[in-house]
Amino acid sequence: MSPQYVSDVGLQSAGSDRVKLLAVDDDQHNLIALQAILEPLDQELMLAENGTEALRLCLDHDFAAILLDVRMPIMDGFETAEMIRSRKQSHRTPILFLTAYRSDEQLFRGYDLGAVDFLFKPIVPEILLSKVKVFVELRRSEELLQRQTEDLKRTERKFRDVLEAAPDAMIITSEDGRIELANSRVDMLFQHSREILIGQNIRTLIPEWERLTAGPAFDPPAQTELRQTGVRRDGTVFPAGITRSPFHASDAVLVTTSIRDITIQVEAEARIQQSNAELERRVAERTAALSSSNEALRQFTWAASHDLQEPIRTVLTYAQWLSEAINGRLAERERGMLTVIEDHASRLNQLLGALRQYVHVSESGQQQWAPVNCNEVVEATVATLQTLIQETGASVEWSILPIVPSIEILLVQVFQNLISNGIKYRSHERAPLIRISAAATKAGWKFSVMDNGTGIDARYSEYIFGVFRRLHTAEHSGTGIGLSICKAAVERLGGHIWVESTPGSGSVFNFTLPRDPVLESRT
Amino acid sequence: MTTDNEDGSVRILLAEDNRADVWLIEEALRRQSLDYRLDHHLTAAEAIDAVKKCGVGGSPVPQLLLLDYNLPGGQGLDILAAAAANPKLAGVPKAILSSFLRPNEVQDAIKMGASCFIAKPANLADFLRDVGAKVLDLLNRQTA
Repeated sequence: MSPQYVSDVGLQSAGSDRVKLLAVDDDQHNLIALQAILEPLDQELMLAENGTEALRLCLDHDFAAILLDVRMPIMDGFETAEMIRSRKQSHRTPILFLTAYRSDEQLFRGYDLGAVDFLFKPIVPEILLSKVKVFVELRRSEELLQRQTEDLKRTERKFRDVLEAAPDAMIITSEDGRIELANSRVDMLFQHSREILIGQNIRTLIPEWERLTAGPAFDPPAQTELRQTGVRRDGTVFPAGITRSPFHASDAVLVTTSIRDITIQVEAEARIQQSNAELERRVAERTAALSSSNEALRQFTWAASHDLQEPIRTVLTYAQWLSEAINGRLAERERGMLTVIEDHASRLNQLLGALRQYVHVSESGQQQWAPVNCNEVVEATVATLQTLIQETGASVEWSILPIVPSIEILLVQVFQNLISNGIKYRSHERAPLIRISAAATKAGWKFSVMDNGTGIDARYSEYIFGVFRRLHTAEHSGTGIGLSICKAAVERLGGHIWVESTPGSGSVFNFTLPRDPVLESRT
Repeated sequence: MTTDNEDGSVRILLAEDNRADVWLIEEALRRQSLDYRLDHHLTAAEAIDAVKKCGVGGSPVPQLLLLDYNLPGGQGLDILAAAAANPKLAGVPKAILSSFLRPNEVQDAIKMGASCFIAKPANLADFLRDVGAKVLDLLNRQTA
């Protein structure tokens, strides 16, 4: 038999959860007996026949307990224990002495050398078993504790690593803000050192920090970033984006507060706000400039038409007066000349009147909006055009027309101009016929005023809506402003106007009116 | 109609800067066979002066004020204001003349004490008939 051998106590193979035990005795029979006694423990038992052997095994193994025979040749149990004790790795290994002598001196020496117990020969198996069992269990719980401690350390290390790696400054506090932990970004952001911060209240750094109150706000997903102020060590401040989220530690609620320096964001927002305000201001300025220039233009047109009216009225009346005064004394040629003056003065007078009317229509946004019955408007318009209608033998027909939200005087202008145009620009071949109808559309109504007159070439379909634009000579008594007035009026009412025509057979003037007009206030 | 004048004529105060219109107005009055004396002023300032003096220190009070709306250096409205301040002119009809006025301008004139607005038509026959008839109507209304 070799001087040292390893024995698996019991039948199981060596496992990580089995602890190692060492039995040292110079008598092999004793060792076999010990092995037999300890078998029920099912642990890994190593055997040594002398102190030297025991020491060597102690170098390589960590034993839960050593059973050491006191009386051995060369190096006795006490000497061996002393050597085992003196080695660092076995410094705390519990030793049970096995001895045949009950002497106080021996006991004291044994205990001095770190013996945890004495067992007296003859060994009582039950006592040995129960004592060794205690050490086995002790070792087991030690190992468990160590493993748990290591796990804990690893977890904590991981946690700190995560905390360190976080892109933002993170501070972990108690519920009321006492700083427990902070990452290095906190140092950078607040120019502080963590050692000083730990234990202080987070309000030193963020005076507005508030403890989380129970309720929905306690729910982490509900946490939104707050804008608060961060205070650096030197007292300077910066805008901080703060997010708090609670987590339940074993015995308390802790709060993680992440802090972001949002200076750049805040500045960018301020710049955007500033440029928005600037943009709004410019738009307002332009609008004001434009509407004042529109207003100025209207004023000018009005004043010009008014100031031109006076002299032309005078020219006209005096030409008539002169003609009346010298009537009968003029040759036909001279009378013709005077007639030319009268005609042209009269025409100019008419144009100025039309121009004033145009200005009046485009100013009429201030007029009252009200439901207007288009049937009544057309009826009234036809009545005012009765002379023209009778002279030309025209007929005006209309289907049932809607009641629309509108400004009545503008609508009167539109129908009056379209109907009289339809009659004026009639074909020589047939009596004028005007048909007025209306159809509901998605956005409101589409009105059509159809005539059987001369028609308009498609290339003039835009041109005719311009001020003083005419396609005819004095043959037709137009001022060239009627359609401009229609366009201005329809646009004031929120619609648009266009013409569809077949030259030679007639035109259809269409205009739309919205069902829900945007009641603009004219500036 | 009654007159306060020694010669039995009607005294009319006219503020009008356009001499051509003065002639036309006179022609219109003549055609109504109206015996009138025209107290004519070319500017608003002159007319205001005259209106203030009416009935003061024995100066005559006109039976009618004909005031052009637009005058150099002022408006017919300024003359109306001066007339309203002179109690001697309290019952005297005051007409505003113009080629045309916007409705709000007519309303302003009425508020300032104008009895009516007389348009100056751009046609001889209309002018003479309308202006003559309106003047006669105003004078008759006063004495009625």
